[in-house]
Amino acid sequence: MSRRPLQYRKDQGDSTNGSSTSSGIRGPNSALTEFLRQQGINAEEIRQRHLRRLAGEDEETEIVNVDHSEISSNNIHEDSTQPDQDAEFDAEELEIRIASRRKRRAAKDNADEYTDSESENDINSTDRIKKKKIVGDEVSCVQCSKTFVVSVYSRQDQLNDGYYCADCTRVQQENDRAIKRNQMISRKKRQKLAVALLDRQDVKISSLQDLSIKKITEKIEDVDEFGDIGTINMKKIAKILCRNRSLNDSTLNLFLNPLLEKLEFWDCSKLSKGSYDKICSYAPNIEKLTLLMCGKFHNDNLKYFSNNLNRLTHLEVDGPFLINNESWQTFFISKGKMLKSFKVSNTHRFSDETLEIMLKNVDPQIFECLKLSRLDGIKNKDSYDLLPMYLTNLKELEISYPNHEDSVDDTMLINLTSINGATLNTLVLDGCSALTDEFLINGLKPFCSNLRKLSLQFLDQITDEGFTGLFHGWNINLGLNEVFLKKCFSLGDSGIIEMLLHSNSTLVELSLNSIKDLTSLAFQILSCNNLIYLDIGFIRSVDDEVLELIQKKCNQLKLIDCYGNNRCTSKAQIREGLKVIGRQSDTV
Amino acid sequence: MSNEYITLISSDNHHFIISKPAAFVSNTLKNALNLNFKESETNIIKLNENSLVLNKICEYFYYNLKYKDQEIDVPEFEIPTEMALELLVASDYFDC
Repeated sequence: MSRRPLQYRKDQGDSTNGSSTSSGIRGPNSALTEFLRQQGINAEEIRQRHLRRLAGEDEETEIVNVDHSEISSNNIHEDSTQPDQDAEFDAEELEIRIASRRKRRAAKDNADEYTDSESENDINSTDRIKKKKIVGDEVSCVQCSKTFVVSVYSRQDQLNDGYYCADCTRVQQENDRAIKRNQMISRKKRQKLAVALLDRQDVKISSLQDLSIKKITEKIEDVDEFGDIGTINMKKIAKILCRNRSLNDSTLNLFLNPLLEKLEFWDCSKLSKGSYDKICSYAPNIEKLTLLMCGKFHNDNLKYFSNNLNRLTHLEVDGPFLINNESWQTFFISKGKMLKSFKVSNTHRFSDETLEIMLKNVDPQIFECLKLSRLDGIKNKDSYDLLPMYLTNLKELEISYPNHEDSVDDTMLINLTSINGATLNTLVLDGCSALTDEFLINGLKPFCSNLRKLSLQFLDQITDEGFTGLFHGWNINLGLNEVFLKKCFSLGDSGIIEMLLHSNSTLVELSLNSIKDLTSLAFQILSCNNLIYLDIGFIRSVDDEVLELIQKKCNQLKLIDCYGNNRCTSKAQIREGLKVIGRQSDTV
Repeated sequence: MSNEYITLISSDNHHFIISKPAAFVSNTLKNALNLNFKESETNIIKLNENSLVLNKICEYFYYNLKYKDQEIDVPEFEIPTEMALELLVASDYFDC
């Protein structure tokens, strides 16, 4: 194919030359001939190519060779004597025919090969024996030296170039089968282990509770009532149903009872408008309500909630995009005073004004938990700046992925932490990428004495300087439990080392994912006795040696994520009870 | 014999005699037998389960005992659909 344009130009030149030298008179042309000439395809070229190919193929069977040579000699003859259009056409057609024949033969060869390779495993391979042509001969067995007559079923021994007698053949066959079976078993085992590893589970026998729960969730449509199965099992069933997407209007009823105080549903996408009202009427004493992916949660539902759920203090909703601003506002005006926790994420219908009304209506003394995540309706920076004016007693705060990164800035957070610092234990600021070192040093350091969880994912302006400034001599804080620093690209060794020196003994979960400049130096400092989960994906310096070092120093560690580290291989010695996920060698 | 085996008595007075390791699959039974209760002396435990469920529970004890160290080709433990909820309540009690 790549040769074609070149040919085209050359042949064009030729043809123009040809036309200038020759008389320029041609006979009637077919459209195909015209087309071929335009494309620069001519018989001579094809013939040459064909001859070249023939020369390369020694393994042609005789008949075909004769066939070919006959045809090609004819061709040569014709071509050389009379470069006719007909010949051109013939040659082309011939070429096609030969090519297709070759293709057919190749396919046949392949098929033969395929069966060969199959019968290689098959012990009763008759082909090979036939080739040797000694069926019926009397030979001695390579194994037991007994003399016997070779049959088509006798097994050939490739190494010693002999045959097995009938008895030895049978033994060999059984051995082969055993080997095959073992291979299958170990393959299955590897597969199962790899699958379990990805699910972060141990391969162990499941408890009778889990078995029953599995059975129940399979037949959930037939269940009328749960009975006294315990809240933990209830929660497990709810989780499994949500994961299977089988939480719907009829299965919802099973979870509702008048004594219920806490309800968590992770996938409400199949609940209809009427079902949300049912939560109110069947479980009116609910205090903590979590509804995730509640796309059908309607204005009327929220209204009904605010009128009927008199004890509601914690509300978490994800994806409530049917609720408009008016409904939110009436909800906050009527229920705001009671709210202790309000978490909302993934809706565009939560505007600046709504946030302001919410802040004005909650009781700052009891309101302690706020989550505003992926709210594209909050567009003004001023709205976020209002937070420190109304909230004084926060324990948990999450502001993540705002509509515009500049909406959340250092000054606001410094204000906020100066007021709430003493109570604040969880701070999540993922994706607020306008934040800089300043808020670490002037906000967190002087005020946040009780902070335990800090998540700063995607904050690319946080640098070593900020981290060193924060953690060096941060004596009022006794240590963080959870630190998530995924994709804080500007961090490096010195900042992380300072953080580790401060929180080494308290860390339980740590993510350093994609902090690409970390070197093995940082991991030498990492020795956390309480660390259970560690994410060190996409860090170039992480290799087998580092993995071994880490697992030696962190004796509680249960899970390491190391996706994207090509130098982590199966050679690393991993102790029992620790799972390492994301190595290339762990594929199913 | 009395040391090696435990007798479980169902609410409808069926006796299930199972080996000690099998009974120890259940944390509840394990605790009852290891502490200084009457049960640990007599090795007889009266339970408030009907014989059908208790039968299944005992079946699970032995299933667990047999397959807990085997990683592949573990046959599925059969649970009749109509018994699943009762069994869940019972297994919650037995903690197994």
